[in-house]
Amino acid sequence: MSQPRDWLNRRRASWRRKATARDQGSVLLNQRRVYILPTRAGLGFCALLLILLIGSVNYNLGLGFGLTFVAGACAIVDMVQTTRNLAGLVLSPGRAPDVYAGEDAPFELRVENPTRLARYAVWIDVEHVAEPRQAIDVPAGGSTTLVLRTATVTRGWMRAPRVRLSTHFPLGLFRAWSWWQPDSRALVYPFPEQDAPPLPMLGRPSPDGVGSTGSDDFGGVRSYQPGDPLRHLAWRQIARLDPDLGGQLVTKQFEGGTVDELILDFDALPSGLDVELRLARMTRWVLEAEQRALPYGFILGRIRYDAALGTAHQAACLRALALYGLPEEPA
Amino acid sequence: MGKPAVRRHAGLARRGHLAGPAHAPNVVLVPIAAAAMFGVLGSYHTLLGRDAGVAMLVLLVAFKMLEMHARRDLFVVVFLCYFLVLTNFFYSQTIPTALLMLASLVALLATQLSFQLTGTVPPLRTRLWMGAKLLGLALPLAGAAFVLFPRIEGPLWGMPDDSHSARSGLSDTMAPGQMSNLAQSEDVAFRVKFDGPVPAQPQLYWRGPVLGSYDGRTWTRVRPSRQARPQPLSLSVGGTPVGYQVTLEPSNTRWLFALEMPRAIPELPGHGVTLSGELEFQSLDPIAERVRYDLVSFVHYSLQPDASPVDGQWLMLPYGLNPRTRAAGQALAAEPDPGRRVAAVLRLFAGGGFVYTLQPPLLPGRDSIDDFLYGTRAGFCEHYAGAFVFLMRSAGVPARVVTGYQGGEMNPIDGYLTVRQSDAHAWAEVWLPRRGWVRIDPTAAVAPERVQRSLARALPPPAPFGFEGLGRLLQPDPDSLLGRVRYAIGAVNNGWNQWVLNYTPQRQQHLVQRLQEGLSHWQSLALIAMLCALLFLVRKFSQRRKADPVDALYSVLCQRLGQLGLPRAPDEGPTAYALRLAAADLAPETGAAATEFLRRYSAYRYGPQSPGTGLVSILRDLLSRVR
Repeated sequence: MSQPRDWLNRRRASWRRKATARDQGSVLLNQRRVYILPTRAGLGFCALLLILLIGSVNYNLGLGFGLTFVAGACAIVDMVQTTRNLAGLVLSPGRAPDVYAGEDAPFELRVENPTRLARYAVWIDVEHVAEPRQAIDVPAGGSTTLVLRTATVTRGWMRAPRVRLSTHFPLGLFRAWSWWQPDSRALVYPFPEQDAPPLPMLGRPSPDGVGSTGSDDFGGVRSYQPGDPLRHLAWRQIARLDPDLGGQLVTKQFEGGTVDELILDFDALPSGLDVELRLARMTRWVLEAEQRALPYGFILGRIRYDAALGTAHQAACLRALALYGLPEEPA
Repeated sequence: MGKPAVRRHAGLARRGHLAGPAHAPNVVLVPIAAAAMFGVLGSYHTLLGRDAGVAMLVLLVAFKMLEMHARRDLFVVVFLCYFLVLTNFFYSQTIPTALLMLASLVALLATQLSFQLTGTVPPLRTRLWMGAKLLGLALPLAGAAFVLFPRIEGPLWGMPDDSHSARSGLSDTMAPGQMSNLAQSEDVAFRVKFDGPVPAQPQLYWRGPVLGSYDGRTWTRVRPSRQARPQPLSLSVGGTPVGYQVTLEPSNTRWLFALEMPRAIPELPGHGVTLSGELEFQSLDPIAERVRYDLVSFVHYSLQPDASPVDGQWLMLPYGLNPRTRAAGQALAAEPDPGRRVAAVLRLFAGGGFVYTLQPPLLPGRDSIDDFLYGTRAGFCEHYAGAFVFLMRSAGVPARVVTGYQGGEMNPIDGYLTVRQSDAHAWAEVWLPRRGWVRIDPTAAVAPERVQRSLARALPPPAPFGFEGLGRLLQPDPDSLLGRVRYAIGAVNNGWNQWVLNYTPQRQQHLVQRLQEGLSHWQSLALIAMLCALLFLVRKFSQRRKADPVDALYSVLCQRLGQLGLPRAPDEGPTAYALRLAAADLAPETGAAATEFLRRYSAYRYGPQSPGTGLVSILRDLLSRVR
């Protein structure tokens, strides 16, 4: 008696394992991964077939039998074609840029169709999230890239959500679907604190002695980074470069050096503060220092970065902040 | 290629609502729909029944189309259209109707798949082609289901009275002029498939109603209640039996026709069959659909040779009518041998200047047989049979009129004999001592060619539109091209009727049995296995052919380099791979060939120019130098 139940449990466990397993790299949706069930319209069609059959029997319509069987066979062909509308697609994760907590993480997904069968109306959505859904068409031998936006709440690694691909095409009598767990993750930085206190400018004296406080000595330009104040944009340079030809926004950089080396030290923050708030403040400061082009040192637990400036430095700092107290790998 | 086609669907997808102009409000639609329904009621005086039901269905589809909100409504309309296709079969089930059905299905499938689309909408022609392809894939499956799906004999419940409209056919009375109407009709009465050789044309008398009462104008059947006691039928037969199968077209009458003389009552699935004292077969209910029955007949027979028809009903004549004929008959009675009396009358018909014509002059008088025999002398089977029986009864010989069909047209293509309404015929039976009821065809005495050949060829060809030669062209001459085409069409139609429209449980059982027998032979199994293997090979081969030859060579190269210890990383493009190969310590010739291969491959795969001819052979050459 318990044997079927055991079998069912084992089956279910294996399903769950399969469903939650991460798919390394690109994934071929073969027939075994595609599930199919009739839709409500499909059940209606079944009733229709029954009525057609009963009518044909009652009125002895030879061609009525023909119609019934042709319609029934069309439904079966539809079942096969609905499965085939998904099967054979190759899915691969694309870029997953870093975001700040609270923003939507855009996961890029690539759907490739190496077969000679054009795919129509493949719906892509995320588990447990009803909307918004996206529908894509993938031409034969072509590919389509789409971006799946997922809300982020907490800092740290965020795994791409489990993606559901489903289709009703061609006749809408069946719904075929497949699950895909893209092997892709995005790093979520802490949300920068709003109205954070000003940068802690009271660091150690700079080894090269006294410098001017001037932040108005023009020292060249660098490429624009989000957050640069608009009034620092080098409009004259920008006007000469056509953004369509690869030109970038550039920001004027002011030199003069700081008197004091800016050190952003986590432990120096008031220990009464919540860890997350401290991390948020550090994030804000990193951004601000970067914005104002003030080289900053960074100390977070055992991580120590010497004072520097630039994208790589900022990314390293933000990464350290995002992963503070968290394991390297997502759960 | 590869162009992103991502779209967000707010309205259509989420709630299944349809885009497009707003439909008319229900305040407008409901009164119009109600008015239309009253119109149906006014035209048919009912809302039930076949014709009114179909009209209502058409209205329903039309109004539903005006009132569509959601995706679900589209399904409702499409599903109703399937019913609409079915209702067409109440009226016609011919091959053109079947083709129309397939065309409608393509349109329906294209519609259904069109509203599943979300982004790119292919042009209508492509979508129709997709529908046709779907249908084409479904057809073999549907054919198998048609043959193998267990058939249930209908009807499940009563049919509406009007489910089959009236059709022409032989009635159970005979009045002058009636058969000449039938003679104009090319409608098929029934088709016959003989098991063995086909009897000669003059022996093909298909027995139908037997008429014994005459009121001076109309011959009718003798009412069974008037028979004092049913005589036991005694039939002695000789010669070889003739087995055959009759496929009777629906006539809405109860008559079944059999070659004279049948040995046993035919079995008719779904109908009871009765046999009367005059050897007539009748089903218990009118035949409203095509039926089929098997029979065995003997063309040499004697019917009730020893039982004299004592009750005198076969001698009764209306009092005071046709005095001249009656007197002639009484004069004949002087001859003691009834057989000679018969012969004398036949001689009279053959030599008395009688004419066989389908357009005889009218006989409006009270003594119509007198007028015919001594006046017009022009008529066809019913005149001759009626007059003959009247004469015989006057001469004291028991006689009766037998109606049915005579002859038929053999289709050399499928071997079916087609009996048309134009083959309707009337002849006579007389009872002779020791010989029983003997068939006498007085028409044969007047126009032997009517019986020798068939009616159509016994008459001069008609002249359609006044052209003399045209009629000859349309004659069923089996040797002319037109005749062959006509026979081919007839054979196709008959096959359609036999196998599609009238595929009964019996026929299915028979076929499945034959299939089983056929499949139990090892040869057929071997044949099927071979076909499967062939299909598999063709598929395999075509799959291999599908791959790009350049890509195939590329993968061979990668494999070979892998064997040399430099496998391509999964994420490595040909250019990066080539760079890595250049740095590796390969044999100089191998390295050069591989690098050149990868350069050309990269240019082919990613370059803007189309590949020059001979790329495959160059690559193959390069590949051969990689070792």
